[in-house]
Amino acid sequence: MTSPTITTNSNLAFVRADFETLTEGLDYAARGSTGCNFFSSRGAFEQAVGYAQIREKAIDLAQAFDRAGFERGSRMAIVAETTPDFMYFFFACQYAGMLPVALPLSIHLSGHEEYVRNLANLIGKAGANYAVGSPELIEYVREAAPQLEMIGTPANYFALPTTGGNLRPFQKNELSYIQFSSGSTSSPRGVVISQRAITSNTRGILRNGLAATEADRAASWLPLYHDMGLVGFCLAPMMGQISIDYMATQSFARRPMVWLQIISEHGATVSFSPNFGYDLCARRGLSEKARSLDLSNWRVAGIGGEMIYPNTLNEFAKIFGQVGFSKNAFMPCYGQAETTLGTTFGPVDSGFTVEYVDREQLANSRKIVRAKVNGHTPGDDYRPFIKCGGPIPGHKIDIRDDLGSPLPEDQVGRIVVSGPSLMDGYFRDPEGTASVMEADGWMDTGDLGYMSDGQLVITGRQKDLIILNGRNIWPQDIEMAVEKIDRIRSSDVACFSVSLAGGGERMVLVVHCRVSASIERDELRKTIMAKVKKASGADCEILLVSPGTLPFTSSGKLSRAAVKSLYLNDELVDLAQPQTSFNSQPNEEPLAAMAG
Amino acid sequence: MSNAELTAKTVFNEVRDLLEPYNPNAVDIVMDTDLAAELNVDSVAAMTLIMEIEDKFDLDIPINLLPDVNRPRDLVDAVLSQAKSQ
Repeated sequence: MTSPTITTNSNLAFVRADFETLTEGLDYAARGSTGCNFFSSRGAFEQAVGYAQIREKAIDLAQAFDRAGFERGSRMAIVAETTPDFMYFFFACQYAGMLPVALPLSIHLSGHEEYVRNLANLIGKAGANYAVGSPELIEYVREAAPQLEMIGTPANYFALPTTGGNLRPFQKNELSYIQFSSGSTSSPRGVVISQRAITSNTRGILRNGLAATEADRAASWLPLYHDMGLVGFCLAPMMGQISIDYMATQSFARRPMVWLQIISEHGATVSFSPNFGYDLCARRGLSEKARSLDLSNWRVAGIGGEMIYPNTLNEFAKIFGQVGFSKNAFMPCYGQAETTLGTTFGPVDSGFTVEYVDREQLANSRKIVRAKVNGHTPGDDYRPFIKCGGPIPGHKIDIRDDLGSPLPEDQVGRIVVSGPSLMDGYFRDPEGTASVMEADGWMDTGDLGYMSDGQLVITGRQKDLIILNGRNIWPQDIEMAVEKIDRIRSSDVACFSVSLAGGGERMVLVVHCRVSASIERDELRKTIMAKVKKASGADCEILLVSPGTLPFTSSGKLSRAAVKSLYLNDELVDLAQPQTSFNSQPNEEPLAAMAG
Repeated sequence: MSNAELTAKTVFNEVRDLLEPYNPNAVDIVMDTDLAAELNVDSVAAMTLIMEIEDKFDLDIPINLLPDVNRPRDLVDAVLSQAKSQ
C-alpha cells in the first residue's frame, strides 16, 4: 500500500475484542481496510500492511509450517524488530498452533557477546525449535543457538512449499504465546499466555481501559518483545480493528520527538509510554519544529511499565499543552507480563491524581497518612504517589500482609491479583510458578502498594524494598535524591541492600562517577552520603564506578538485582577506594549472572 | 561535502569531533580507540552519538550494527557503507 491505512472501517462494524481466540480476531479484522503502518526514524511513511494482508501471509506461512512437519505446540523464536514480518510470523504461529516467543534486539555498542549470551539464555528457556530474524540479525541467533531445527530469515521460511499444508489454529481452551518478563528483579522468565488470557485482557483494555471507539487510532514506539508493545500496541488494536502507526524502538531512543510528530501527522488518539518516554520528550522541549505539532487528538496518553513521577507528567503537559496536548489524556496504568498486560487503568479523560504521603509513617508502619493539600505542594516530608485506577471487570486486586491476611485501605502490603488474564505459569518452571501462584487462584505480583478509594497505588517492588532497623526504605527514593546532585545524571545510581554475616542489612549505593580528580571524588562521596542520610536517615556504603557499569534490562529499566549480583561477585571496582573499608562481609550467595 | 566524496579520513575527522564531548580525560582519539573503555560512551550517549552522525552525513545507520561497533573505525566503516548504499 502506498499510503497509511484508514482509521475507521466504512464497511465493517466495530467489534471490541469480542473474540475467543486471536485468529478469530484477525479473521474479523481482515474483512476491513485498517491495519499497521511503519514509519522511518525521521517519521517518513514507509509502508502499510492491512490486517487482510497480515492474515493472508500468516496463513501461507502456517501452511508451510505444517507441510514442513513443524509440530503443534512447538516454539518459534522471533527476533522482534518492528516490521511487518513480526506480525506475519506471530500470527502464522497462531494459525499453526505453535507458540511464538519474541526475542529482544540489542542496541548497545560493543554488545555482541552479551547479546549472543542473552539470546542463548532466552532461546533455551523457551525451548525454541525454530527461529526467524532479519538478515542483519539472524547471525546472532545462529551463534547463540546453532542446534535449532531451523534458523532462517523471513525469506527462507516464505520459500518453503505450502501446498497440502493444513491450518491448525489454537482453540479457545489452548495456549497462545510465551512472553518474557522484563527481569528487573530476577532473570527473565517465560510467561505462558493462553487464548483465554489474551482475549480477556484485550477485551478489558479496549472496552474498559481505553473505552475504545471506531474513531480511535494508535501510535507506538514500544518494543514488540515486551508486553506493553505486543499486547497493548499489536494484539489489542488488531482485536479492535484499530489502525496503528509504528516507529521502531531504537528510532525513538535517538529521536523521541518523531513519536509526537507521527501522532500529530496521522491523528493517533491512543499512545502509551513508560515515564521515561515522556521525560525524554519534555527534555527536548518545544523546538521551532515542535511548535507546529498538533496533539489535540491524543485522548489517551497511557503511562505504565515503571514508577510514574508527577513532575515528569506535569512538565510534559506544560510544554506540549502549548500544541494542544490535554493533561486529562494522561492515564496511569498497572500490570505486568504475568497478567498478560493491564490489570488497572485510571479513569478515562481524568488525567492523573497525586497523593502526598507522610514518609515517616510509611517507613515505620507502612501506613498511609496523607498531607493536607491547600493549593500548595507539600514539602520533602511527603512522598508523591500516583493513583493507577481500579481493576478491569472480571479481575480482583487484594492487598495482603506477609502472612496472607487481607489489609484494609491505606495500608501498604503485597499486591495480589486474580482473574482470567492471569498467565498459566512460567514455561517449564514449576518452582518459579509455585513461587508466585497461590493455591486459591491469586497471584503475587511482587509489588507493594495500597488501595485508595478503590484505586490501586504502587509504592515499589517488594524485592527492592530495603528494611533497615525496621524502617522501610524505597530504593527509588534514594536514587532520585542522589540523581539531583550536580554531575550525577538520571540512571547513574543503583540502591540495594545486602545481608550481613552478623545479621542485619547494609544499604549499598553504586554510582557512576564522572569526575576524575581524587579530591573531587572525595567531595562527591561526601555529598552523596549527606543526601542519603537526609533521604533515609541511614548510613550506606558508596561505590563510585565508571559510567556504563550499571546494567539495564532490555526495556531500559535499571536492574538492581543484576547490580547486586555484580557487587556480591566482587565485580564492581570502586574508582577511589579499591579496598572496601567495611569489616563485616555480606553473607549472601552470589546470584547467577542476570541477563536482560 | 557530498557523500560521494567521503573518504575514511574525512569521515574519521567528523566522527572524532562528535566524540570529543565524551572524552573527559582528553585521550588522543584514533581509529582504534576503545569507545567503551577509553571514552565515556554509555548506552544513552551511544544513541545521541549515532543520531549526530546520521544528521551530519544525512543517512541512517542500522541499529543492528551497534553490537559490533567497538572503535571509531567501526563507525567510519558504517558511515561509508551506508553512504554507498543510500
